[in-house]
Amino acid sequence: MSFTGQSATGPEESSTSQAAKHGRDSLRKAVVVGGNRIPFARTGGAYTKSSNQDMLTAALDGLIARFGLQDERIGEVAAGAVLKHSRDFNLTREAVLGSALSAETPAYDLQQACATGLETVLGLANKIKLGQIDSAIAGGVDSASDAPIAVSEGLREVLLDLNRAKTLPQRIQVLSRLRPKDLAPDAPNTGEPRTGLSMGEHQALTTAQWKITREAQDQLAYNSHRNLAAAYDAGFFDDLLTPYRGLTRDSNLRADTTLEKLATLKPVFGKNLGAEATMTAGNSTPLTDGASTVLLASEEWADAHELPKLATVVDGEAAAVDFVHGKDGLLMAPAFAVPRLLARNGLTLDDIDFFEIHEAFAGTVLSTLAAWEDEEFGRTRLGLDGALGSIDRSTLNVNGSSLAAGHPFAATGGRIVASLAKMLHDKGRVDGRPARGLISICAAGGQGVVAILEGF
Amino acid sequence: MTGAQPVILGDMPSLSKLYVNAAATAARRRVLGTDAGITLPPCGHEVRGVTAEVGNLTAYQHLVGETASDILPAGFIHALAFPVSMSVMNRDDFPLPLLGMVHLGNRVEQHGAILFTEALDITSWAENLGGHRAGTQVDIVAVVRRAGESMVLWRGTSTYLAKGVFLPGIDKPSAPAAPATFSAPDPTALWQLGVDTGRAYAAVSGDFNPIHLSVLSAKALGLRRSIAHGMYLASRALADVGAVKGESFRWDVAFEAPVFLPARVALDISSVNSPSGAWLRSGYAAWNPRSGRRHFTGSVSAL
Repeated sequence: MSFTGQSATGPEESSTSQAAKHGRDSLRKAVVVGGNRIPFARTGGAYTKSSNQDMLTAALDGLIARFGLQDERIGEVAAGAVLKHSRDFNLTREAVLGSALSAETPAYDLQQACATGLETVLGLANKIKLGQIDSAIAGGVDSASDAPIAVSEGLREVLLDLNRAKTLPQRIQVLSRLRPKDLAPDAPNTGEPRTGLSMGEHQALTTAQWKITREAQDQLAYNSHRNLAAAYDAGFFDDLLTPYRGLTRDSNLRADTTLEKLATLKPVFGKNLGAEATMTAGNSTPLTDGASTVLLASEEWADAHELPKLATVVDGEAAAVDFVHGKDGLLMAPAFAVPRLLARNGLTLDDIDFFEIHEAFAGTVLSTLAAWEDEEFGRTRLGLDGALGSIDRSTLNVNGSSLAAGHPFAATGGRIVASLAKMLHDKGRVDGRPARGLISICAAGGQGVVAILEGF
Repeated sequence: MTGAQPVILGDMPSLSKLYVNAAATAARRRVLGTDAGITLPPCGHEVRGVTAEVGNLTAYQHLVGETASDILPAGFIHALAFPVSMSVMNRDDFPLPLLGMVHLGNRVEQHGAILFTEALDITSWAENLGGHRAGTQVDIVAVVRRAGESMVLWRGTSTYLAKGVFLPGIDKPSAPAAPATFSAPDPTALWQLGVDTGRAYAAVSGDFNPIHLSVLSAKALGLRRSIAHGMYLASRALADVGAVKGESFRWDVAFEAPVFLPARVALDISSVNSPSGAWLRSGYAAWNPRSGRRHFTGSVSAL
């Protein structure tokens, strides 16, 4: 057998998935009540001086105001940031303490790279389903502007040893180890620790492998801007967003961009590959600052507080790929997570009404779709009879996604969950069942987290 | 306010120019022996269409421990209005010397949230010239409205003492208020204030009064070391009370012993809730943890 992939179904397909489904059916529902975020700002823009805690608190306070949660003791709040100062070890709890929520609201930080926001939603939804809590706020925040800068490894070791030194001669001896180069700061970067390649360079490999054209990437970026602009114009974000620091819309949004303008941009990633370089600043997400929050609850809690129920969090799945030596692309884990999630829930791509595939790069979305459409990938990597399938492109990121909105790493999950929940609620029923949406988010380290939501 | 309409100033007065002018006025009065009379200026000053500078707002918020939200902290509004108040105290007909005045206390009523994006009309005047056992005190009032509107959103009253200045016709209170003995409670917080605390607050508030800036500049004005701004301390206490105060509240502070920098300051904040659990009031007191001398007391309460 030549199958070397990640089975979409597993060897004991029917019994495990049946048991899992039965287990979930006996649980109560976790519903998305609503969400709130601040507009996302390009790095170095309106939020340059705002810290992660400032932005998370701003998003949280907007959510509190929208749903009347002043002095409310929420079951638990979970959020996180990818670029995080060490002093922010209790970032979420500090944001809660600075907010109008009851100070008796517990909180924890979570970090799973760009999947942070979605993972907080899934973890808290599970706690609600298990009856451990009745209400929860999930969220995420990131600032590329206010990024932590560490001292060099050499200086750090000297400072720690200096603290341990007891006598003056010992201190002098420790200090004598300092070299000028130790004074250079250590700034964060988006490079993978094991490969040294930036995320963009990794994606360029994948984009070339799946033969994704420049035109297809530019078209996806264009759609993202056009869809996001239309959503703003239609007032879609009126109850999903509170202004902050003078911004009322995502500052990366270019409502007037055209395919021609996108075509003029020079490639920035993959310039040293054999294939033509296709990834530009237009079809890659820029570094962004922002924060998002989502209010989750049991049905009973939402009813008791007379709050809306937009959607239920049905199920979620995480996956990881062995990208280090190039077996799969860095950002391709969702290509494996989605088939598993669908199989466990007895669904196919055709059963999904809205696809929210995070646009880390246009190439990421298109490579994932290409993998699902590929017969051989389906057979040899997913263990299916053939290709997983293709999606109706008109159901993809219909209100725009990260290419237009920007992508403050940990804040993207909350942005997507709140928007999708609203879309599903607005859509109502499809063929006699609730409208259904799929979220797919790729993350550094070769990881991915995906989820299914259903309209309430 | 006094009956006269306020004088509308074209621009926000520059605090540094006001301090220089105050020094020049003090010197002139000393040399020429002139004085400014014994009554307060008949009118106030007003500056219209003032907006906060967002970078300055963020720096202020971070310095005093507020989250950088879009809502102007009550202490920031004090700093925003301060140049207008200073310009009133700098008038030729203001009877007390501006330099060296001691900030005795402050009372603020905040009647709703003011966003940094809003244009504001700021009016300030002097009232309640009165005797104090150590000199003469005066209230400087400032009110803030949305530009063109009549409703007052913020009203602050700062009480200052001109030490050793006794004006004819103003009686000194007969008995000095007996200092109540203070026994320090268990602190709820401990602040470490560096020697640069005054300079840092001067940078965000614009209040470059030399007594706050450095040991040398403070010594020039007769202090042994520089002291923390009273409004910095009170603003930190306000931030410490937190979001529970809501958007409308009353905030007051009474200053006692100055905080010489650098310093460790112990703080106690105790809240009073209604039987139903609703927040009513948080009182605070700050003292020197070594000597037990009290630096200030105050409260934030529901309006």
